[in-house]
Amino acid sequence: MITVTNFSKQYKGFTAVKNLSFSVEPGQILGLLGPNGAGKTTTLRTLCGIIPPSSGSLLVAGHDVVQAPIAAKENLGYIPDDPRLFDTMTVWEHLAFTAAAYKLADFEKDAEALLASFELTHKRNTLVHNLSRGMRQKVAIASAFLHDPKVILFDEPLTGLDPQGIRGIQQAIRDRAQAGAAIIISSHLLSLFENLCTHIMVLNLGECRRFGTMEDLLSEVGHTDSTSALEEVYFSITQAPDQTSETAAV
Amino acid sequence: MDPALRQLLILRLRGGLRQRLLQLASLRGLLFSLAFGGIIWFLIASNGSSDTSFLGSATLDRQALSAQIMTFMPLSMLGLSLLTVLMTTGPTFHFSPNEINFLFTGPFHRRDLILYKFCAYVAGVTLTSLFITLIAPPQTGSALSVFIATLLTLVFVQLNSAVIGMAGHAVEGSRLARLRWPATALLGAIGAATVLSAWTMPDRGIIDLLSEFRHSWIGTIVLIPYIVFAKLFVAPSLSELALWALVAVVINAALLRAVIALDARTTDRSLAENARLSNRWERIKQGGSFWATERTEVRSIRRAPSVGGLGPIAARQALNALRNSLKPIIVFVGLAACIPPISLALGAPVTDPQTLMIIYIFIAFILPRNMVCDFRGDLSRMEIYKTLPIAPWRICAGQLVVQSLLGYVIALTIIASALVFEDSVTTKAALVFAAFALPLTFLIYAIENTAHLLFPTKLVAMGRADFEFLGRSIVEFIAKTIFVFASMAASGAVGLVTFNMMGATLVLPGVASWLTLTLIGLLTLVALQYAFRRFAVAETID
Repeated sequence: MITVTNFSKQYKGFTAVKNLSFSVEPGQILGLLGPNGAGKTTTLRTLCGIIPPSSGSLLVAGHDVVQAPIAAKENLGYIPDDPRLFDTMTVWEHLAFTAAAYKLADFEKDAEALLASFELTHKRNTLVHNLSRGMRQKVAIASAFLHDPKVILFDEPLTGLDPQGIRGIQQAIRDRAQAGAAIIISSHLLSLFENLCTHIMVLNLGECRRFGTMEDLLSEVGHTDSTSALEEVYFSITQAPDQTSETAAV
Repeated sequence: MDPALRQLLILRLRGGLRQRLLQLASLRGLLFSLAFGGIIWFLIASNGSSDTSFLGSATLDRQALSAQIMTFMPLSMLGLSLLTVLMTTGPTFHFSPNEINFLFTGPFHRRDLILYKFCAYVAGVTLTSLFITLIAPPQTGSALSVFIATLLTLVFVQLNSAVIGMAGHAVEGSRLARLRWPATALLGAIGAATVLSAWTMPDRGIIDLLSEFRHSWIGTIVLIPYIVFAKLFVAPSLSELALWALVAVVINAALLRAVIALDARTTDRSLAENARLSNRWERIKQGGSFWATERTEVRSIRRAPSVGGLGPIAARQALNALRNSLKPIIVFVGLAACIPPISLALGAPVTDPQTLMIIYIFIAFILPRNMVCDFRGDLSRMEIYKTLPIAPWRICAGQLVVQSLLGYVIALTIIASALVFEDSVTTKAALVFAAFALPLTFLIYAIENTAHLLFPTKLVAMGRADFEFLGRSIVEFIAKTIFVFASMAASGAVGLVTFNMMGATLVLPGVASWLTLTLIGLLTLVALQYAFRRFAVAETID
């Protein structure tokens, strides 16, 4: 569903992502892990067509994001870390806008269901600039889910959410994966990966340092507790003096 | 004032100065600042010679100007005060959220905080007065008198508004507050009676009635504090200027004392209003309007139109206009309707080149700066647009539809008003103007958006002395004007060629001309699509 081959991105002489290759199949949840500046957000933003790649190929549901951006985007939902909504529009109007943008004829029933699942029903006519950050995050996620995308990209999805909201979003992500969506989550929260991800990719300085299933990682470090295993993997990779991508188990 | 606050004031002023100097350090900042300086120099130079005056040579002599200032300035200031009473909802001394966090929790008296804000305001007003002094026509008096009069008047306007607003808050909930709307109704009735009276007397207009009121004994009593500031502007000698300046300083000091006294009774209300105003400013920085709706809940539209992807974008901007810019739109439509009768009253009909130039500045500079319902207000949401499965040209067209139509409605208002008030404008001419106004408005906003996406910048100036912003605005306007005029010339040339070929009828040349202008507008849409494609959303590296 998501296929990235030899993807690189340079900004004015600085390499943000170097020669990255991976794939995510339907039902899989890939966690992108890495310190600030590792290239996680750049990878997500390139996948959803916000910034162009310097080289390589990125396919979303079989469509190249550079060659066929419209077809790729029709299958994609992106939730940025900072939910910038249209402040003069209500919660419902965001869903109506999304429905029109993705040409959804009968969206009302699904929209109502999404509002209910994110506990936004009573806020349907509220102008979004009056919502808390967590609420706005829920609106952004509901809008991204409305067209039932095959690929969903989350950038720090739990920022600003209360414990109840976190549980709700995690369940929604699981449900989407079970329904066959390929999901990528970028976050600094190791517990999120422990709860949700089937695969983990550790990035550092724009390069892939580890890519595999959660079980592979756990067996590699010989831990049964996935959070401490992830922690160990994370620190061993990101604090190592130098390591090339050849060592990454891809 | 507390020494720490004094130091903070100096540090902030120094910081502002440093920021301006840093702007000059970059090539772009330097060029835009030089451009701004050049325009100011042009205005000063043109003021020195009536032959090259920017606003034409029909300027008043010193004596006539003084008479007009003495008659109408006090009336205008009274009108401004009454408007403040009716419209004010917030504090005139606005504390930003960081000032509230740092200063309200610090060991400072409220009196010191008010003085701190007042000094900050005076520093800003000094700069404004200096600017006005530079561009004031020579017949307004010496540079010193213009500067002192402007400075003291602007300080008075601020303090007067503050006192009126705070007094309103202080009496809120009391019996006195109940008089607000009856008093408003009474004033409205007096206004309506005045207009009716002027209407029924053919030899006397509303200006004559206002002038009579101003010079009557009751008018003089009512307007006494305002007359002092008019006297400042017309003082014939230095000694008289010093005398009136002293009186003005005493009035301002008394108002400042009243502000400090009233502030103690309105602290809670003041905090709430500060938060409200801060939210509004934040919204403006993101391209919103100061007048945006403050309602929490509104009726949602059930569905957004699709129209191949163009619909949702246009619908989003239509809602933006309705909820964010409705009040400015109404004001601009009102202003547009007033342009032809006012220009006619001043002896310069809309067909006059100078009036046409002023209308062009209104349409192409003032409107786009104050009515933002397109890409310019959406830069922080570009990643949403970039991820939509909609062709870029449709997104661009959707962004332009509402803004162009709003501009067109305002242009049509001017044309309709001219048709009503001016004999020289025939129905046929009005229809031709109306036909050409649409592609012209579209062209103006297509250029505006293309330039903004190619060279994105902030929508509001950072303080009074943001010369880079001011310079950039002027340079952009000049570049846009050159492009628009070149397009109009091309359109006219095609019409002329068609006329020479076809002869006899003007219809075909007119259609050819219109099509050319429309084609140029559509080609600019292609340029906008290119700018949208290459627009780099803040390339966060994480």
